[in-house]
Amino acid sequence: MEGDELELFSRTLGAAAEAHSGAALDAALVELGWHEALADDPGAAVSVLFEHQGRVPCTSSALDDVVTQALGAGPHQDMAVVLPWLGRAEPPARRDGGHLVVEGLGTNRLLGAETALVVAQGPAGDVAAVVKTSELAARPVRGIDPALGLSAVSGAATALGPLSALHPGDWTEALSRGRLAAGHEMVGASTAMLELARRHALERVQFGRPIAAFQAVRHRLADTLVALESARALLDAAWHEESAGTAAMAKAACGGAARTASRHCQQVLAGTGFTTEHPLHRYIRRVLVLDELFGSARSLTAELGREVLARRRLPTPIPL
Amino acid sequence: MELAAFRTALDQWLDEHGDALAPDRPQDTLDEHMAQLAKVKRLTFDAGFMRFGWSERVGGLGGSPLLRAYLGEALTTRDLVEPGIYSMTETLAPTMVDYAAPALAAEMVPRLLRGDETWCQGFSEPGTGSNLAALACRAVREDSGWRVTGQKVWTSLAQYAQRCVLLVRTGPVESAHGGITALFADMERPGITVRPIDTLHGGPEFCEVFFDDVVVPTGRLLGQEGQGWSVAMDLLPHERSTALWHKAAFLQRRLQDLLDTVAEEALDPVQVGETVQLLAAFRARSRATQHQLAAGERLGPETSVDKVLAAGAEQAVFDLVEAGLAVEVLLGDGSSASRWRSEYLFSRAATIYGGTSEIQRNIIARRLLDLGDDR
Ligand SMILES: Cc1cc2nc3c(=O)[nH]c(=O)nc-3n(C[C@H](O)[C@H](O)[C@H](O)COP(=O)(O)OP(=O)(O)OC[C@H]3O[C@@H](n4cnc5c(N)ncnc54)[C@H](O)[C@@H]3O)c2cc1C
Repeated sequence: MEGDELELFSRTLGAAAEAHSGAALDAALVELGWHEALADDPGAAVSVLFEHQGRVPCTSSALDDVVTQALGAGPHQDMAVVLPWLGRAEPPARRDGGHLVVEGLGTNRLLGAETALVVAQGPAGDVAAVVKTSELAARPVRGIDPALGLSAVSGAATALGPLSALHPGDWTEALSRGRLAAGHEMVGASTAMLELARRHALERVQFGRPIAAFQAVRHRLADTLVALESARALLDAAWHEESAGTAAMAKAACGGAARTASRHCQQVLAGTGFTTEHPLHRYIRRVLVLDELFGSARSLTAELGREVLARRRLPTPIPL
Repeated sequence: MELAAFRTALDQWLDEHGDALAPDRPQDTLDEHMAQLAKVKRLTFDAGFMRFGWSERVGGLGGSPLLRAYLGEALTTRDLVEPGIYSMTETLAPTMVDYAAPALAAEMVPRLLRGDETWCQGFSEPGTGSNLAALACRAVREDSGWRVTGQKVWTSLAQYAQRCVLLVRTGPVESAHGGITALFADMERPGITVRPIDTLHGGPEFCEVFFDDVVVPTGRLLGQEGQGWSVAMDLLPHERSTALWHKAAFLQRRLQDLLDTVAEEALDPVQVGETVQLLAAFRARSRATQHQLAAGERLGPETSVDKVLAAGAEQAVFDLVEAGLAVEVLLGDGSSASRWRSEYLFSRAATIYGGTSEIQRNIIARRLLDLGDDR
């Protein structure tokens, strides 16, 4: 997608994201051709939808589609997926005899769907299977961001039909796509925080001038923009040359930028931004969870450093 | 020529001419770096590669500026040129192409590209660093041109330079931005005194330049009289685009060199991961800027983001060097140790030259975030 077509797609999805959340947004997305867009042009589809979700902020179960599509098993609106538990990057289940022992997270789709896709680690590599959600215990979690609608999923389930063996790298590919989606959502949320803080800085008067005149305030917001732009640049690079390493770096940069945005924007919005009457808190909650999902900036960065040291080799640089 | 074809042809040519391009002498001093740069420019110009990405009007062979970006990347990656001194070409030549009289640009730019000449950038003065609009070096108009009297400082490579892109005050002091004019001055004129200044990183990277009633002829005007501020504002983004892509290639190479030599356990994995990520983000951002330039977009204040990222990445890379090779950097006297030390110390200036990081943040706040005046 490019030019006018991309703009129209973005405007349509943006309007849906503003009007709906949760299951209602899922239904609207199906109507608007989100599944087709995801199949045709995943980079454009994922970046547009998840940045809108972050910006509003709202939620949907589109992450399930991103993961199932990357695994070649979807997207289907009735097929949920079990995501790794918070902070985890490995598949959310392991094989134990004829069972799949599951411990992970689900989006709002998991509670309503009859079946879910599960990837499990086994002695001969990863396998994917479809299981009945009724065999799993799914408990809605509220936590720091109840609006995100996650649930904790666990239990032992039997596969419906044969297990399909995954190629090495398949899970990593799906994980990378999930990381990019979460990254875009954090960028959307951070952009919204920056805009809230920017407007406040221009309107709020102290000592006889708008606080935007104070350099300490200006530099916090400038640093936020720099962090956001570097996260965006890595996201673009990660779609341009898809590799697990670049996707992980992009996710880490987005997590770092989101924490920078939270810190600086909260400081600039001060008392006003500390109330639940102001929207800032919704973004702060959202990005804290998204940063941890599929591995936090901190853990991804440390892992990258350990890998580089072990191999004594830098990742292949992004080509011109 | 397309980038892919250029890349293939250049890489092959560099492989074949490796011996001719390699330094004849150890690269321990600025003189040696300058001689090596001139040699590499001449060979790449004569083979045609240095002319791609520049307009036919100035002796170039046309094509996308991406070709220039790749040339500098390839030369830096092979350790054939030092990117700091190479960057003057990318900073100053576009200004000549855009603002000099066509005949002057056609005469002069090929000399810079071919390595026959060195040019310098005379902006900063003792009283005027960040606050460039307050510059005081005076030029008085007369029939045949201007008479320039005043002082510039921290002028990189002025001791080698035949020409200078010079900002002078032609209006009254109160005229601030409005009274500045850009000139293209010959450095070998009577009345110019150049005094090299020794620097922290070793070697006289920059100079004091004194002008005492120096004549600059009319034809050496860049843009219009009184429009030197816009010339400078168009020059600075060039300092923050292609030259920074070359810088990214340099950092990539030196970080790999560090990994090749550093002792096991000498580096903190978290610091390594952070540095690799900062470098990748800087490179990704700079790549996007190269493509904007190639699409014919005019670069502006958004390049301040590139400069902040470049400075952060450079300092992070050399912080890692200092941590991993502390004994060499702090106590070593051999050639390799001196190079690490010099590069480490030079990286401390990354947040100073080309507009300090505070000034870049001011630009970002005012121009990109639209936060209004800061008073
Ligand atoms: C290695 C090197 C090479 C150089 N090469 C050249 C060259 O070739 N040509 C040339 O013209 N110049 C050159 N310079 C000079 C360089 O451009 C200036 O040093 C730079 O612009 C800063 O000016 P200053 O040193 O006078 O610092 P000042 O402007 O005095 O600033 C001092 C400190 O105050 C801060 N500050 C100043 N104003 C503000 C503000 N409004 N808001 C917040 N903080 C502020 C600065 O960020 C800095 O930290 C070079 C410098 C170096 C170090």
